[in-house]
Amino acid sequence: MNIYDVLIRDFPFLLKGLGVAIVLLAALLLIGFVLGMAICLIQLYGPKSRLVQWPLKAYERIFRGIPIIIMLFIFYYGISGVWDISAFGAAILAMGLRSAAYQSQIFRSAFQSVPAGQMMAARAMGMSKLSAIRHIMFPQAARHAIGPWTNEFSSEIKETSLAYVIGVVELTRQAHYIITSTQGNVLTVFAVVALLYFILNRAGNSLLYAFERKLAVPGFEK
Amino acid sequence: MKKLSFLSAAVLCSAISGSFFITSAQAQESYTVGVEASFPPWAYVEGGEFKGIAIDAMDAIADEAGFEIEFQDMPFPSLIPALAAEKIDILATGLTVTEERSQNIDFTIPWWETNDVVLVPEDSDLNVFTAVCCGARVGVQGGSSQQAWMEENIVNSSDIDVELAKYDNYVTAVDDMAIGRISSVIVDDTSAQEYINAGRPVKMAGKIYIRAPLALAVSKGDPQEILGDLNQGILSIYEAGIWGEIIEEYIPGVTPPAIPGHMPGFVDTYQKPVAGLPELGNE
Repeated sequence: MNIYDVLIRDFPFLLKGLGVAIVLLAALLLIGFVLGMAICLIQLYGPKSRLVQWPLKAYERIFRGIPIIIMLFIFYYGISGVWDISAFGAAILAMGLRSAAYQSQIFRSAFQSVPAGQMMAARAMGMSKLSAIRHIMFPQAARHAIGPWTNEFSSEIKETSLAYVIGVVELTRQAHYIITSTQGNVLTVFAVVALLYFILNRAGNSLLYAFERKLAVPGFEK
Repeated sequence: MKKLSFLSAAVLCSAISGSFFITSAQAQESYTVGVEASFPPWAYVEGGEFKGIAIDAMDAIADEAGFEIEFQDMPFPSLIPALAAEKIDILATGLTVTEERSQNIDFTIPWWETNDVVLVPEDSDLNVFTAVCCGARVGVQGGSSQQAWMEENIVNSSDIDVELAKYDNYVTAVDDMAIGRISSVIVDDTSAQEYINAGRPVKMAGKIYIRAPLALAVSKGDPQEILGDLNQGILSIYEAGIWGEIIEEYIPGVTPPAIPGHMPGFVDTYQKPVAGLPELGNE
């Protein structure tokens, strides 16, 4: 059986691996979004007390400063003493928490790009801090954030390929299976896998670009 | 639209939570078997199914002993830590018995014996001496017993000038040798024969007789109390001839070494009485 026949036969398994990568991606981006937004809002509008701000800063620096492969091992083996977490769960948690650190900074710069005078004006009109954030700042900041957020999306897609080190059978691992069971063909198999990642990346990016154009703040269009 | 996104969120959540938590209400007699599924002929995946000597033998042993097993694939360097952390219950791959490993995990009786070979490109005129000397770059799998042997006997203890190149798995090492980045690969004779059978342009320049036993392993202290079952299972599939059939299927023409094979004295689970087989063991 030549490698092309094997690739055709095993293509469904590559797609299955791609599916695992997509679920991992969606879950980690979701955790990152929720937690990242919370961190950003507290950093900008929360209490200025060091007791609140310092741990957030430490969290963000630690997760942005440690390679994800080490985080994966720490979460998979480290937590297992306390909680019997699966490899997939550990990957979602490690990568989601790290994404939160990155996303918090994306959101922070987006909020900061909205002129501060708007916040003051909203407060002067008698709006509470929370409703000013919700109705004035957030709708504008969210639109500014889509562009930089695309970068986070693209880099996280590629990083899902690292989850195989703790035993998550995603696209890269499925490719390994084909390579080792056919005793070679590294280039051919990885070329196909690269194409799959590329398609996913472009599809996601086009969608986000379309979103960005549609929601652009008047006066800020490209 | 709102409905749709809610629905997809619900699907996503259930998909995640399904695999996020390992059910604690697992049946008592079901074990997770960790394998490195890119290590033919011991364990690999073909057409979406686990195959290989370790896979088939493990299935036969589980049948014999009457427990359920589930295979979990992991890259080799993660397998022993996973076993030590009890993320998996049994390790079944072409696992070499070494003294260092025996301090972190418990071995079953040996079921195979390998020697290492020096693999060189087909058109190479290197021999076993010239391949491993004089500034050569030699490929090994990271964390493997071959790496340990080379470091102990050549790199750290002699004047021989050799640089080890460590790979994720042996297939990429052999590919790198084809490109010319390394001049030889030290690999066990079973795998080497596989590459030659598969028509890769390599040949054996020579053999290093280390008589390394291969075995299954469980977490240190055998917390699941399955070491005895595994030992009895290995012996009984060997005596029933099932073992021979499996070997014949994956590496035709090879005579399997007798079981139980040589049991090194440094392994504590090889002290008499061996779990499940009390008549065996080192005095």
